[in-house]
Amino acid sequence: MKRRHFFRISALGSGSLLVSTFIPLACASEEQEATFWDPNFFIRIDSNNLVTFICSKAELGQGTSTGLAMIMADELGADFDKIKVEFADGSKEKYGRLHLQDTGGSNGIRMVWKPLREAIAITREILIKAASIQLGLPVSSLHTSMGYVHSSKDDQSVAFGDLIAVASTLPAPLEVKLKDPEQFQYIGKPIPGRLTQNASKGIVPYSINVKLPNMVYAVIERCPVWGGSLITYTDSAAREVPGVIDIFEITPTVLQQNDYKGGVRPGVAVVATNTWAAMKAKKLLKIEWDLGPNSKFSSSDVHNGLVRFKESNKSVAANFRNAENILKNSSRKLNANYESPHQANACMEPLNAVAYHYGYKVEVWAGTQSPSMTRERISELTGLQETEVTVNNHPAGGGFGRRFFCDFVEEAVLISERVRLPVKLMWTREDTIKTSKYHPYSLDFWEAAIDDEGMPMALGYQGFTSGPSAYRPFPYGLPIAYRTRLSYKNGWLIPRASWRSVLAHPWALGLESFMDELADSAKKDPLKFRLDLLGNAEIVEQKMDPWVGDDLHPEKLKATLEKVADMSNWFVKTDDGLFQGCSSISYNTSYCSMVANLRRGPNGLYVSKMYAVIDCGLAINPSKVKAQVEGSIIWGLTALLKSSITVKDGMVEQKNFDDYLLLRIDETPEIEVEIMDSNDVPTGSGEPAVPGVAPAVLNALFMATGQRVRKIPLDLGSF
Amino acid sequence: MELTINGEGYSFELEDNGMPLLWVLRDVFDLTGTKYSCGIGQCGACTVHVDGLTARSCITPASSLEGKKITTIEGADSIVILSALQENWVAIDVPQCGYCQSGQLMSAAALLSKNPSPSEKEIRDGMRGNLCRCGTYTRILEAIKKTAEDLSS
Ligand code: FES
Ligand code: FES
Repeated sequence: MKRRHFFRISALGSGSLLVSTFIPLACASEEQEATFWDPNFFIRIDSNNLVTFICSKAELGQGTSTGLAMIMADELGADFDKIKVEFADGSKEKYGRLHLQDTGGSNGIRMVWKPLREAIAITREILIKAASIQLGLPVSSLHTSMGYVHSSKDDQSVAFGDLIAVASTLPAPLEVKLKDPEQFQYIGKPIPGRLTQNASKGIVPYSINVKLPNMVYAVIERCPVWGGSLITYTDSAAREVPGVIDIFEITPTVLQQNDYKGGVRPGVAVVATNTWAAMKAKKLLKIEWDLGPNSKFSSSDVHNGLVRFKESNKSVAANFRNAENILKNSSRKLNANYESPHQANACMEPLNAVAYHYGYKVEVWAGTQSPSMTRERISELTGLQETEVTVNNHPAGGGFGRRFFCDFVEEAVLISERVRLPVKLMWTREDTIKTSKYHPYSLDFWEAAIDDEGMPMALGYQGFTSGPSAYRPFPYGLPIAYRTRLSYKNGWLIPRASWRSVLAHPWALGLESFMDELADSAKKDPLKFRLDLLGNAEIVEQKMDPWVGDDLHPEKLKATLEKVADMSNWFVKTDDGLFQGCSSISYNTSYCSMVANLRRGPNGLYVSKMYAVIDCGLAINPSKVKAQVEGSIIWGLTALLKSSITVKDGMVEQKNFDDYLLLRIDETPEIEVEIMDSNDVPTGSGEPAVPGVAPAVLNALFMATGQRVRKIPLDLGSF
Repeated sequence: MELTINGEGYSFELEDNGMPLLWVLRDVFDLTGTKYSCGIGQCGACTVHVDGLTARSCITPASSLEGKKITTIEGADSIVILSALQENWVAIDVPQCGYCQSGQLMSAAALLSKNPSPSEKEIRDGMRGNLCRCGTYTRILEAIKKTAEDLSS
């Protein structure tokens, strides 16, 4: 922040920006010939006093754009209700590679919090300096509030917009002071999201709504098995569909096992004048595929492959506090294996992107979690410089990790390259279930050395993690050994994506179920058992790149667990028909503890209520934090009780919401969420409440039935 | 053919008699409030009103709707219940990504117009056709209850 900024004043032409490159989230009115000042990449102030927050992070419904706009409003002294929110296009020149732009790991607020505040504090100080010059008053007598610089001595005030001409000539101060928390006007208050109003009117500008002049609509029929290829196809019936313009083969990108970024599958594209015609014609294609080697394998082979791998690879990858020796020398052991299936993200807005390949440059419009990476990939794909690639980012109808991967944008670009028109590529719901990227199938093996009292002395783990990480930490302070990470000998059967909470989900399913099994072996109350361990555990160092968080503090996790015990009356059970289970999770230095209530109804057992307590540092917007926890609980229950992706002969067996089921409102339990009071650096809230759901419910199931279920999904009603 | 959407007449040439209303709304008339999500009547994202009753526009051919009154989320202002629901949707901060919400609101409005003071169970049963992957269900329940109260007073 020490460099001198150069500022410019430019004319804001009205109407010159296409509706689709410009994403008004708030309905601010614009005057015709406003000039503006954009002192940094987060903000633009117009001469007509409009303050625009340029959100570098993606908005997928998690509320990040609202939270960041609140932070900006507070640090600047702006009127939050009058701020317009725009989304930044993909740019690593402005935002660096991943840190300030691409959105994942519940990092939106955490990553941007500090640089945003610093940049906006500088902006504020420049505005104050400009006002001091304009009004002839000392800087020390001035402060900002609600879009004005005010003088505390007299009644004078001047609007930000009237200061930009002077402000743009001033150097940035070398040092600025950030506001104290007592000065926050918005941060910490539950404020409806910036999308909320528009979502309630149906006017959020998702990329699926983009319409450009001469735009055509495309869909792709992709090879149903990953790694297969196209032999030939017949399109005569498809071409008969009114509105069909062209049908052609898509040239796939070379399949790379660990390409977590994108990748275009072999397929046949249909281009039409409307979405319906394209979808209809797609169904009429007759395609002959070479299904390739993966067509010989099914879900059971994935399972068996992991079991075989484990049997032949037992070496220790990480050994903490001599766990391995303790395990070896122990005469009493406890073992348990946990299994969770492939899953699809199934965002309600199916994947889609609009692309226009002009030949010499490319512009895309998409709801992506990774505008910077997407731009990089398109540059690679087309051979154009990144400066010739513009990625306009739109709010998305859910992302949950899937929209981090830019395969769908790559496809749109390839089709537009061929037709040289703007193309809207739509994925059908079937595409998003059958030929997408998936949360991987997991198998986790846990063991413990038990002493004469039944207490655990050391733990051993083998699964998809070869050591502790911020996303899959071990908070309980016991000696623990990690064995070689499991991997698939034959490569992935279906390609991998991120799915809300990623590998923390299987990790926690194992860990938090196993903790309950250990408590049972020690004849302790499972919640008290955790509290005792956490009370004795030391701070766990977290390795993260970039370092933006904190270490893992077991006492913070313990505090969430104590609170949820209170909320759920854990220790004062009086009701015979109530069965409770708990879990406590640390995820990237957020903490979340949960209690699940199970009861018996006419159709067997059901989840009647979920309690959750989250510590995510300073909660910028409690309404959105709670919404994330509520949504995470629904997500976790869906994975536990409803859906799974299964593979037969290389093909996904599910296709749409009639066989990939999501939790519905009549199956939703009561949910009660509390947020820990904290002034610590804000962490994340989008994922930490997912991983604890399954183990909390399964632990309650054990209370109800004495049965340990270690494989999900399950049919609770059958118990 | 001619359609009446939100009280206005729209005339156009329908190339394909099987084309669902959803795509006529979205691709032909730019009424993009109504959403595509499953295309098979399973999720409710495409819910509109036809003569005051809910219809899944993804599986309703436009050609079957001549002479009927179609209402979409864009026509919310003319429906008291819908406007009242929208107010509570904002106050309770229901939407997350928002994508399913047009459909949720259209279903909720139809529910309340049939049954102005539904029990919690009736709300859950009445709304079970609308999926929300973000998991806004508990707030939807709250907002519908609140709207029923507001409208009865
Ligand atoms: S899109 Fe019509 S019900 Fe899902
Ligand atoms: S709000 Fe995102 S799907 Fe319902």
